[in-house]
Amino acid sequence: MARDLALLLPEIAVLLTAVAALCAEMLRRPRIALALAIAGLLIATGLSVPMIGMDTTVFGGSFRIDTLSVWAKLILLPATALCLLLARKDVRGTAREGTVYTLLCLATLGALVLAGAGDAMFLVLGTLLTGLATFALVAYPGDDPATEGAMKFFVFASVTGAVMIFGLTYWFGAAGSTLLSDLSSVDAIPLAAIGGLVAVIVGLGYKASLVPFHFWAPDAYEGAPLSVAAYLSVVPKIGALFAIAQVVRDLPTDSGWPIIMAGLAVLSMTYGYLAALVQDNIVRLLAYSSIAQSGYFLLGIVAVGSSSLALPSIIVFAAAYAAMNLGAFAVTAATGRHLHDFNGLGRVQPLTGIAMVVFLLSLVGIPPFAGFVGKFMLFAAAIDVLFTWLAVVAIANSVLSLAVYLRIVVPMYRPTETAIAAPGAWPGVVALTAFAATLIIGLAAQFLLVGPMAGAP
Amino acid sequence: MPTLPLVSFTLFLPLAGAALILALPRPTARTVHAIGIATAALTLAAAFAMWLRGVSGAGFSQVEELEWIPVIGAAYRVGVDGISLPLVLLSALMFLLAFIFTSSLRERPRAYVVLALLLETAAIGTFSALDALLFYVFFEVSLVSMYFMIAGWGHEDRQRAALMFFLYTLLGSLPLLLAILGLYLGSPEPSFDMRAWIADPPLDGTAAMWALVAMLITFAVKIPAVPLHTWLPAAHVQAPTVGSVILAAIMLKFGTYGLIRFALQMTPEAFRDVGLVILVLGVVSALYGAFAALAQTDLKRLVAYTSINHMGYVIVGVAVAALAVDPAVRAVALDGAVLQMVSHGLVTGALFFLVGMIQDRAHSREMGEFGGLLNTVPLLGWSFVLTAFASLGLPGLAHFPAEFQIFMATLWTVPAAVVVVLGIAIIAGTFLKALRETFLGEARERWHAMPDMSLREVLTVAPLLVLTVAIGVAPSWVLEVIHRTTAALAL
Repeated sequence: MARDLALLLPEIAVLLTAVAALCAEMLRRPRIALALAIAGLLIATGLSVPMIGMDTTVFGGSFRIDTLSVWAKLILLPATALCLLLARKDVRGTAREGTVYTLLCLATLGALVLAGAGDAMFLVLGTLLTGLATFALVAYPGDDPATEGAMKFFVFASVTGAVMIFGLTYWFGAAGSTLLSDLSSVDAIPLAAIGGLVAVIVGLGYKASLVPFHFWAPDAYEGAPLSVAAYLSVVPKIGALFAIAQVVRDLPTDSGWPIIMAGLAVLSMTYGYLAALVQDNIVRLLAYSSIAQSGYFLLGIVAVGSSSLALPSIIVFAAAYAAMNLGAFAVTAATGRHLHDFNGLGRVQPLTGIAMVVFLLSLVGIPPFAGFVGKFMLFAAAIDVLFTWLAVVAIANSVLSLAVYLRIVVPMYRPTETAIAAPGAWPGVVALTAFAATLIIGLAAQFLLVGPMAGAP
Repeated sequence: MPTLPLVSFTLFLPLAGAALILALPRPTARTVHAIGIATAALTLAAAFAMWLRGVSGAGFSQVEELEWIPVIGAAYRVGVDGISLPLVLLSALMFLLAFIFTSSLRERPRAYVVLALLLETAAIGTFSALDALLFYVFFEVSLVSMYFMIAGWGHEDRQRAALMFFLYTLLGSLPLLLAILGLYLGSPEPSFDMRAWIADPPLDGTAAMWALVAMLITFAVKIPAVPLHTWLPAAHVQAPTVGSVILAAIMLKFGTYGLIRFALQMTPEAFRDVGLVILVLGVVSALYGAFAALAQTDLKRLVAYTSINHMGYVIVGVAVAALAVDPAVRAVALDGAVLQMVSHGLVTGALFFLVGMIQDRAHSREMGEFGGLLNTVPLLGWSFVLTAFASLGLPGLAHFPAEFQIFMATLWTVPAAVVVVLGIAIIAGTFLKALRETFLGEARERWHAMPDMSLREVLTVAPLLVLTVAIGVAPSWVLEVIHRTTAALAL
């Protein structure tokens, strides 16, 4: 028991952080709540570092301390800290500022639970925990778009959550256990196996905003404060995608799940970029782009269990995606939500311009930035398990994505008369951190790879 | 004695220059250009030192290695052989001249020079990388800087042309990524070491053929070969002069260099199997480029199309090298192909500079609007005449020894393919027509006040003219380096 709790220290630290931030909020000290939350998240990150390379489970196999869950902590906790800094700009001086920080910490805890799930019940718990916290966050501004977005989000989540729980009962019935590691025995009852798989894909696919479960995402992102949209596009999404990887690890490959994942990948990438191509609102554009990026993750997930490149590729891309997407959101937070707000940005604010160009090119997957290393490894993983056609589709989509992101880059270098303010302190810090991370992950992926490659099967 | 890492030095000098310019707070245009020219001059000196060190023959020389991502077998590996060394030297020279030419630019010079320096590192890196991942990184970085160069400083319709260039070449280069991944996953131990892939091609049979097809798509777009050439005239016409020069003199070589380094050396069996198809592609490209050039009235488009023609000869040379049974013939074909790349860089670079000078003065590139320029601007006129003659393959000038060797090897190997010689006649007609309309005849009233070349412009073009003649008259000083590698090449 003591060992199990010791291994859960980072999660416990996040929970305590959330409680501490809430206490500070009750004393009406939002700035202290923010400081506590950031300090707590960084401490939790530090606590996770010694766990690199571990591969064990706690509480009877129901929660996993493995490559995926440890790296989820190392990626998502700093990412949440950056989101908190962005949130400060959005919610400063509002009535319940501190609760925003608390909820962000709680939602991250949910994402970590998802990423380490070793039991079907943890999947449900994680989805609910992130879900409940993020509904409130989306609705926080209380105006019409926010309420509409939160409502859609909530209804969608309720339905998909119910479907997932219903489907998991099939697995429980067939396997006699809720442990994911017992799933291999489900194969004897194909119908139950498929029913459960479909349900889990629905439940986690909505959280990862995979097509066709993505409908809530653009509206929720648009209605939510920008920082919450940035958060939604990174933390719960990566948590859910890692959870999918945890689930399929224990499924026999011949049950056909890889082809389903490949199909979802094609749909998400293609639809996401095609829809992004016609958006004039940057937040919606980034929402659709994040839907497409989820599809890329599935290239790695397809190879889980069969290729030693699978887990490293997912982890490297997750880190890269977190850095570049948060960076793009941070610049958007400083500049404006509409495409025409970006007119002349690169001329008036050259450094912000360079940073945004780097984030966008990295999202396309152009070397030497982080996104390239991630996508390169994802392609390698897919080809390694003979899904070459999927890699070809992904590559075609990368070209499409260039057209999407250049729609932001091109106006940035038009001459303009309007004055563009320099990014405020916090978005500036976030953009700078994300910029450094995008470059470092791109040029020194080695540090990210040592752990996952060593721990790979 | 630890030797100076000259290759890395040459490679990263331009990047250091770019960093220096970015680090200066509000530098004047003069400072920026001075740093650009100084950096490029140092780079040329370093490249020349590389040239003096020379190559050893078999395999690669001056190799420098550093760990980068050891878990997946990617490392920082650079080095040169007789095929890449002349191209490195050519790149260093062309960039220096480009910086001299562009030193009059006053529109956002800082960003421009930084982009060009970035492009220089990318170009030298592409030619000297010995790690496939590293090669790909440089290959793509060059795309990004060229995109911003065209989009930021190009002519009327630059946004469209830049977008077309970027989309086209990105779509083109991604298949190479697939091929690299295929070679990587096929190699016995996970490594991106190009030397290992060349020594022992990791793929065979159908897999090798697919990899070759992917690579051919990439390089055919880059070269460009018909029918994947449509981005080139648009990009060239809209690009600023220096952009056109770099694009034609350096970046087109990425394609032909890749064709030899990757396609021919890493999938030799498959290349030999489809050698005839590639040969036909080269012949069609050369002839189509020649005929299309004949039909142009815009000087810049004309030069752009002659590029397609000249690069077509390179494809022919490489295909013949693959088909040739006799190693001596193969060496002759490759010698010709590599020398053709160098000559084309010098000659077409000069042509684009000269056309750029005309455009700066007249704000027009239409041949019909000129006439008699030889009288008004004799220096510019005679320079153009000389380079035009070089471009059409006159003996004694740079293209002749290269094309001669290619045709000779073709005649020995696939005699029928020698129809490609027709291209020379058509290009001759093209240039003679251009010379007549632009430079001969009565000088028109409106161009009487046109100034002749300034010192800056003479400095830009003169080295190219000298080298054009030097290679034409005595090609052996370059050929000797090239031949050392091509003669030792085992396919």
